[in-house]
Amino acid sequence: MLKSWKLKEVVLMSLFSVVFGIVYLLFLHVGNIWAGFIGPIAYEWIFGIWFIVSIICMYIIRKPGAAVVSETIAAAIEVLLGNAVGPRLILAGLIQGLGAEAAFAATGYKRFNVWVLMLAGIGAAVFSFVYGYLLGGFAVFSTGYVVLMLAIRIVSGAMIAGVGGKMVVDGLLATGSLRGYAITRSVKGDARA
Amino acid sequence: MPVPEVIKFEDVCFRYPDEDKWILDKVSLSIKLGEKVVITGPSGSGKTTLLYVCNRLYPDNCDGIMTGSVKLFGRESSSYAQGEVNHRVATVFQDPDAQFCMLTVEEELAFTLENLDVDRSVMAEKIDDVLTMTGLIEFRHAVIQQLSGGEKQRIATACALIMEPDVLLLDEPISHLDPYTARKFIAWLDELQNQKGFTVVAIEHRLDLWGTFFDRTIELQKMDQVPLLEKRKSSRQVEQSLLVQDVSTPYLKRTSFHLLKGEVAVLAGPNGSGKSTLLKALCQLIPAKGSVVPEQLGYVPQSPEFLFVTKSVEDEVAFGGGADVQDMLERLYLKRVAEAHPFAVSHGQKRRVAIAAMLCDGREVILMDEPTSGQDAAGLFELLQLIDERARNGATFVIVTHDMEFAYAIADSVLLMDQGELTGKFEAERVWANEGLLLAHHLLQPKGCVDNEVSYA
Amino acid sequence: MKSAMHEMNPSVKFILVTVCMFTLAFFFDPWTPFFVWVGVLLIQVLFSRIEWKRWLLFMIPFFIMAFGYFWTTIVFAEDRSGAVVWTLWNYPVTEVQLHHALSLSFRVLAFSGLSLLFALTTKPVSFILSLMQQMKLSPKIAYSILVGYQFLPVLKEEFVQIQQAHRLRGASKENNVVMRLWNMRKILLPMLAGAVRKSERAAFAMEAKGFTGEKRKHFYYVVGVGKVDGLMGLLFVILLVASCTSSIWIG
Ligand SMILES: Nc1ncnc2c1ncn2[C@@H]1O[C@H](COP(=O)(O)OP(=O)(O)OP(=O)(O)O)[C@@H](O)[C@H]1O
Ligand SMILES: Nc1ncnc2c1ncn2[C@@H]1O[C@H](COP(=O)(O)OP(=O)(O)OP(=O)(O)O)[C@@H](O)[C@H]1O
Ligand SMILES: [Mg+2]
Ligand SMILES: [Mg+2]
Repeated sequence: MLKSWKLKEVVLMSLFSVVFGIVYLLFLHVGNIWAGFIGPIAYEWIFGIWFIVSIICMYIIRKPGAAVVSETIAAAIEVLLGNAVGPRLILAGLIQGLGAEAAFAATGYKRFNVWVLMLAGIGAAVFSFVYGYLLGGFAVFSTGYVVLMLAIRIVSGAMIAGVGGKMVVDGLLATGSLRGYAITRSVKGDARA
Repeated sequence: MPVPEVIKFEDVCFRYPDEDKWILDKVSLSIKLGEKVVITGPSGSGKTTLLYVCNRLYPDNCDGIMTGSVKLFGRESSSYAQGEVNHRVATVFQDPDAQFCMLTVEEELAFTLENLDVDRSVMAEKIDDVLTMTGLIEFRHAVIQQLSGGEKQRIATACALIMEPDVLLLDEPISHLDPYTARKFIAWLDELQNQKGFTVVAIEHRLDLWGTFFDRTIELQKMDQVPLLEKRKSSRQVEQSLLVQDVSTPYLKRTSFHLLKGEVAVLAGPNGSGKSTLLKALCQLIPAKGSVVPEQLGYVPQSPEFLFVTKSVEDEVAFGGGADVQDMLERLYLKRVAEAHPFAVSHGQKRRVAIAAMLCDGREVILMDEPTSGQDAAGLFELLQLIDERARNGATFVIVTHDMEFAYAIADSVLLMDQGELTGKFEAERVWANEGLLLAHHLLQPKGCVDNEVSYA
Repeated sequence: MKSAMHEMNPSVKFILVTVCMFTLAFFFDPWTPFFVWVGVLLIQVLFSRIEWKRWLLFMIPFFIMAFGYFWTTIVFAEDRSGAVVWTLWNYPVTEVQLHHALSLSFRVLAFSGLSLLFALTTKPVSFILSLMQQMKLSPKIAYSILVGYQFLPVLKEEFVQIQQAHRLRGASKENNVVMRLWNMRKILLPMLAGAVRKSERAAFAMEAKGFTGEKRKHFYYVVGVGKVDGLMGLLFVILLVASCTSSIWIG
């Protein structure tokens, strides 16, 4: 998998991870404090933000593995920045990335419209929820509460990560700085077709 | 035994994916082991692009379209893996900010050695050697991002040399060096080349400093004949225009000076003496004490990309709402790339875009950080005319340059800097005549000045 | 002795901390996470030079979060069996509910204690180097992360610079806070565009220096595994075993 990647694509993922690592950290602090008042459900609304890097990178690079690797790197960078959720976060990142990756893999890495991106957001939401269920000990909560959490997380994943991620990249594409990446190639291809 | 060819192009055509124009059009050339070759051509003619094909960064990394055959060390270039051929071909890039990936100088050098599978036990020694040889030992633990433009360029050369390459590619290696350092650089490059016999392929606009270094010149495109730079007449008026009082930063010692309306001052001094720092402090881009009148200054940074805010060269120049944008594009040879993205043009073009944008903005005081670096003769000539015109209309200029001929032609007065301190403001004539002063600031006497003296005698 | 945690191999430390966390995930009594937390604090006191002020600053959000878990677990608990131990505004709290609430809150504290112990005693660069040298992380990814990490201060600077470039070019400075926030969107895109360009240059620079992404044989900075790793590892295992069996010896 790594062999087929250009170095500039991997470094791109890393630099995006830094930018979003900072954003993630900011949201984590907001989320933590909010969670003190309304409990773990506080994160669910904004959970989508933590999947955004995987969707952005995959949307740009369009190669198998882009979602998993970018999300994992973002988590690693968050840890390097001194995040108190710590090492466990790298695993969380890996699992979220796998969730998003699953959606792209299901479409054969061929289609990247808004629906697929939303599906990737949902995939990340479901995968991360299962992981959170085990490690966060959600089992002690009543079923209704757990279902509500999951539902909100799915919506957040689809909207913030899927739709939001697409908006960010489309804005970036318009600045012309994504020349030489798969997304520009495909846009041109679409225009010709 | 015949000398082997290290680089061979046969009918190579190359274009960027979005452009229709072929940047390289049927280029054929062959470079033998141990040759010293210089590539010349006007700004934007594809010199840098050619170099990127030689070190195999292109066409892979930009989706460029290439036809013809490129052989490196007798093997088709496309048969090398990413980075493989770079074990034998070292490159010094044009832009001082685009050369590095590690934090400190030592780490950067170590990274290079690791890539080459050098045994750990000799790494430290090799790093020591190359830094001593290039006179950079004091920078061993320096953070690269914090060095001056010229210092970065020298570090980049050290990084290339530590590889002990078979081929050394240099993209305008002395354009950010002060004249004295540039001379030294050429001298030891010559010595080193004699010792080791590697091939040198350099891009250069101005060959006078190089003396007899190169064996042969490859002209990528004919240069237009332009008249030599002529010394302009002073346009100083009586009113004061720029007043600088007690400006200082942690590096910069207290600086005060003033310039008159229509005055063109050249700011010169050794690499790392604080010229860029001073300009940035004047525009309040870095926190600084002291006062500057007027507050709104025009500024062309040493790395022009920093200024760009729009999507096309034309919009960029028109951004300040100035008139005669078309005229400006025409004169600075930017018409051809008017539609292009400002980041996707050549280095010299980028610099001219930044200059054009500032000249169109109608600011009264304009600071330019090395506007001459990377410009061809035609560009320099036009730049001189433009500055002269603006100065006659009352604009004031501070121009940082290492180009002594240009400085001689343009300056009314000279601001000299050394080790973070402004040593003084002098009348231009007095500086050119004073060899001691020139040498103390790593400057050389301009040729124009010498010629004049001869004709007087 | 105070430097033992700092001297440990980052990968070994990483594995220990992760193992502790995963083991904790299977315990639903309050004592196990509580003892782990206390043990971690003890290790921190004895074997590290962490500044407590800094530690506290990082810990505050997690104290708040632990409290959030505490009360939501009580209110939204699935299992409401057991004797009522406590009544809050006519709301009966059973033994089981309290048990669960405490166990989740202590879990939060134990997790964050462990993480902070790791984060505050590990140099980021050594961690990546160690992942590459001990854990066989691909150099392509490892060096890309290092490059990204080193661009952090540059990106911070760039954030200011973009604002300044806009100002230099004549965009006015906004005094209204809401408008300023709204104008941030004009900064995010240039930041990302800048990141794209920087990554390209950095990649070119790496490749031009002969970086192929292959596994490397020699490293300039070697991050090793030593005796201290074994000793500290043993300590962590003892702590974990003691905590996990606590329900047995406490009764
Ligand atoms: N990334 C790019 N995408 C599209 N076009 C480009 C790109 N880089 C350069 N160009 C165009 O290709 C042409 C050649 O550029 P190149 O950088 O090779 O010129 P150069 O001869 O090195 O000029 P200079 O002396 O100014 O550095 C220019 O006209 C430029 O506009
Ligand atoms: N951000 C920074 N932090 C610390 N030191 C710095 C920083 N920027 C520059 N310096 C130091 O200040 C000195 C002056 O740098 P400056 O860029 O002003 O030099 P310069 O005169 O423009 O040189 P050049 O001709 O090479 O461009 C250098 O020695 C540099 O190492
Ligand atoms: Mg060039
Ligand atoms: Mg400078």
